[in-house]
Amino acid sequence: MNRKNTGRAALAAMPFLLALAADLILFATRRDRLPAQLASHFVGNGRADDYAGRTSYVVITTVLLVGTGVLWVLMTARGGFHGRAYRRVVACGYAVAGFLGYLMAVVLLVNVDAAEDAQGRAQDVSFPMWQLAAALGVAALASGLGLLLAAVLPVPEEPSADGQADRQADGTTAGGERIALAAGEVAGWARSTGNRWLLPAVALTCAGAVALLFAVGWSAAVPVLLVGLLLLSFARPNVAVDRRGITVSGMLPWPRVRVPLDRIETAASRDIKPLTEYGGWGYRIRPGRTGIMIRSGEGIVARLADGRDFAVTVDDSATAAALLNTLIDQRRTEH
Amino acid sequence: MLFRVDPTSTVPLGDQIAACVRRAVADGAVAPGERLPAARALAESLGVNVHTALRGYQRLREEGLIELRRGRGAVVADGASPHRARLLERVREMVGEARELGMTEDELLALVRSELSAG
Repeated sequence: MNRKNTGRAALAAMPFLLALAADLILFATRRDRLPAQLASHFVGNGRADDYAGRTSYVVITTVLLVGTGVLWVLMTARGGFHGRAYRRVVACGYAVAGFLGYLMAVVLLVNVDAAEDAQGRAQDVSFPMWQLAAALGVAALASGLGLLLAAVLPVPEEPSADGQADRQADGTTAGGERIALAAGEVAGWARSTGNRWLLPAVALTCAGAVALLFAVGWSAAVPVLLVGLLLLSFARPNVAVDRRGITVSGMLPWPRVRVPLDRIETAASRDIKPLTEYGGWGYRIRPGRTGIMIRSGEGIVARLADGRDFAVTVDDSATAAALLNTLIDQRRTEH
Repeated sequence: MLFRVDPTSTVPLGDQIAACVRRAVADGAVAPGERLPAARALAESLGVNVHTALRGYQRLREEGLIELRRGRGAVVADGASPHRARLLERVREMVGEARELGMTEDELLALVRSELSAG
């Protein structure tokens, strides 16, 4: 790890270490006033429904903050993020650290001076739900601080010119085909795309939600179910190319992703390798490129005005790219 | 698939949309089972009225080229072979030419019937 990466790692690790230190100092100074079994898990109305020993509290807090901290250090040092994306990643880390650190501190503080029952469990301890809102506030403040620090400290430079040349070699800046349109003729291209693994993934997620509903409660099941529904709505996405640009939508009109035609410089059709180029499948945001990777294989790659790439994997992408280039030509002659 | 319509043409827009799908099936650009955009999405994409897009789709359904499923858009029908699409294109051409010649419906049908019985 070189000096630049060390600086990045330190910046990313700092909020997690600070949060951990704050929680551990709170614990050390109030250790004698804590019950043997802390109320550690709360249900919707703020009442406790599970308990953990004092050592468990220290272990869980440490593992949670160190674990997420390591994740963020790896992301900032190895993720290859630059410029604004880098600052956002750092700010997200600060927000997560602030949120987790604050919540763990609140859990500790509500247990201070609690009465104990026969098993040493904390009695009449409740977790006020407004503290969740307060934790979000802390997260927002922390992310602001992270943005500021990432902007003030030396920012890693943009990808080198070599990288730009490499990307041009893959053909994304080539002139490409056109579609002959008569004067006044309006054209639109649409195609649905899919992946046979997605529906089983949806089924698995929803089954997981049901399992969580019985094992833990609705508070754990609902977010998982929402993720499942989001996956389901995008199980067979529609890709459209027309005078408005590129639109990728699920079964419902929203959520959808649209890249306006005005922002697109040129488009091409080529083979896309999601894992090596975009680090996986799904909605991918990487330095210099954004993509909706549904499967491996052919797709549309659009070069945007700000130098970024937007890609979506879909069949018949050559027609879509040709139409995009035609519409871009039309836009240029109109202006 | 590619949809293209010309608002300045005398051919109704709904018919133009239907012709695009017919052409795509005939060319093999779309295969049975493939989903077409929902009428609303297609209308927004081309900047035409939703009813216009629906009229085009309904025409295709009558021809047996697509199936319309409520809320799930249009799907190319199982029986929609390139051959069938080409035949439908020819039937449209034939009707158009008969109209230009000023033939009545009965006259055209009589011609078709005589051809059928001769075969």
